[in-house]
Amino acid sequence: MNGAWFALRGYYYDGRQPLRRSATLEIAAGEATLLWEEQSRRYRAANLLVSPRVGRADRFIALPDGGQFQCGNHASLDRLPQHSVTEGAVAWLEQRVAVAVASVVLIVALLAGGYRYGLPAAAQQVAAKIPLETEQTLGEQALVWLDDSDWFQPSGLGQDTQDRIRWKLEELYAELPYAQHYRLEFRQAEYIGANAFALPGGTLVITDAMVKLAESDEEVLAILAHEIGHVELRHVMRHVLQDSAVAVAAATISGDAATLSVAVAGLPSVLAQAEYSRDFESEADDFAFRLLRKHGMSPEAFASVMERIEGDCECDPGALDFLSTHPITGERIERARAAAQGLGTTESESK
Amino acid sequence: MNESASSLPMAPLDECVQPQEIALEFRGSAREYFRIWIVNLCLTLATLGVFSAWAKVRKTRYFYSSITIDKTPFQYLAEPLPILKGRILAALLFAVYWFSSSFYLPALPWVLGAGVIIAPWVISRSMAFKARYSAFRNMTFDFRGNYLGAAQAIYWLGLVPVLVIGTMFEWWGSWEAAAIAFTAFTLTFPWWLSRLKSYMVSYASFGGERGRYSATGGQFFRVYFVAGLIVVGGGVLSAVTAFWVVPPSMRSDWFLILMSLPVYAGYVLAFAYVQANISNLVWNHTRLGPLRFRSTLSGRGMAKLYFTNALGIVASLGLLTPWAVMRTLKYRADNMRVLVEGELTALTGAKRSAVQAAGAEMGEFFDLDLSL
Repeated sequence: MNGAWFALRGYYYDGRQPLRRSATLEIAAGEATLLWEEQSRRYRAANLLVSPRVGRADRFIALPDGGQFQCGNHASLDRLPQHSVTEGAVAWLEQRVAVAVASVVLIVALLAGGYRYGLPAAAQQVAAKIPLETEQTLGEQALVWLDDSDWFQPSGLGQDTQDRIRWKLEELYAELPYAQHYRLEFRQAEYIGANAFALPGGTLVITDAMVKLAESDEEVLAILAHEIGHVELRHVMRHVLQDSAVAVAAATISGDAATLSVAVAGLPSVLAQAEYSRDFESEADDFAFRLLRKHGMSPEAFASVMERIEGDCECDPGALDFLSTHPITGERIERARAAAQGLGTTESESK
Repeated sequence: MNESASSLPMAPLDECVQPQEIALEFRGSAREYFRIWIVNLCLTLATLGVFSAWAKVRKTRYFYSSITIDKTPFQYLAEPLPILKGRILAALLFAVYWFSSSFYLPALPWVLGAGVIIAPWVISRSMAFKARYSAFRNMTFDFRGNYLGAAQAIYWLGLVPVLVIGTMFEWWGSWEAAAIAFTAFTLTFPWWLSRLKSYMVSYASFGGERGRYSATGGQFFRVYFVAGLIVVGGGVLSAVTAFWVVPPSMRSDWFLILMSLPVYAGYVLAFAYVQANISNLVWNHTRLGPLRFRSTLSGRGMAKLYFTNALGIVASLGLLTPWAVMRTLKYRADNMRVLVEGELTALTGAKRSAVQAAGAEMGEFFDLDLSL
């Protein structure tokens, strides 16, 4: 800076009154001279601080006595001491069209890669470290709530049927890591029909209609093996982690749009959640097929019972198919048949 | 450059009848903001959110410096690091809330209770942060509202609207209870909102002058009443077309979806109407020393803006977001006038505020910005 001479034209603000005064700042031999209205003031050029550059907007030089000098001559301003080094680097990036184009490409790559691989892998790692007990309160509360509501009535199945299925199921999960957490509950549930589900924490619920629809215990076990898969693979925890991460990412990306009150911000995360759920269903299917084969049962039982469920259900997939959380049933049946013949994804642990 | 001292011409002392009217000039460009936006978004995603504090500072700096009054841009003085600390704290609090709401519902009332207790603190501190790191002509704004003031503003009249929403599951389904709840809500919410705006304006100051607020709850009520009529109008319009004008044979699923559009349009229009008119109401009833403001936003203008923005953003998969942000800011700036009655020299910055502005990076721990 020593030896350089240049003059900046701009405005001076004394910090005491909101008045704008035309002024000149001359920099010469390490000295800065501020001239305004026949007055002048001297500073050491090294004591000036220039505010970060943003776009083409005028910047401000903070003067040691609390005054401020506004100026738009960026080439010269860049030769003075800068207030923020980190922001200077960001400002440099912000000025380049090539960087902007690269950013678009990088964002698409980051989002696609993170969504498809990074996030599921990270959620799996994190979920494995969180004990299953964390979910137990939630599962217990859910069961109490369902029992108190119209949804669940006590099971009408005979005690011997319940005991037989429990006993066979115990054999199925005995060697699994979360074996001591499983509990099987039978419930009558008119509105839900033939169904089974895993509550958070390891409680499995199967409806009377489901047991009656199955033509053999093997079919019941095939359905329950799928639910065990959800528990063993920590789908509840992974679901919550992934959905939260997607929601945070969506909020980050659409943050600017949200301030404009545009009602499109939530859409991407809704689609994302449906997509993840379908992945989990396929994963639980694969887990079930492996578990069944290990215990000398055929995944064919899964295929046949799924076929019957589909025949039982009058729902029409229709146009909203891409929003459904379960993979199309036909696909799942085919995969079960393939697994029964020793083909498909059962042998190679792809997930 | 030979113009004399001050650029804002001052009315002579003996005739301060005619106020000086100054327009805001907006200098932001969508092209320029696109680069700022995309680079900061990319860095935020690549650093898993850590960079978001820098992104916030960079974007806010651009917004501020794009708005000029009589050739002087506004200045945003906050530094990224204090904001990052604030965000980490806010993220931790949010994680507690998230965990209890996802896995441990019995703890949720306690967490929400804690939220009720800290909410006034968060509001008063974030108002103070925003004010103290905003400057115009080398003078920072200030906000001196404290916890008690914020608590009174939120909870005194706010109790009724909060209770009405909080007990939603109790009155949902029963017509009489819903009618009572609705009436209680309508008769308190506008006054509550006005009280909150009053808190925000009255404790804000610039140049040693505090804001003076003169809007009333009744004026807020009028705005919301008209908005309610717009929503009802949209509903009636689609109901009439769907069930009287069109024969039953044509009422397919797609037709019914199409028919819900007037309802949605009515909602958007009402929302825009509220945004524009509440903004006008607050600004037009605010005084700061010799300054008054004239805000002339219109509900139709805002609705048009919302609609075209949403269209552009969706059609461009989000890439037109910066364009939408810039034209919205421009619309707001174009509809704002500052009226100067008397002399600007009535506003005086303490020497201290200038020093604070320079040392803004040392933002105290309690001035953390808690916006997530």
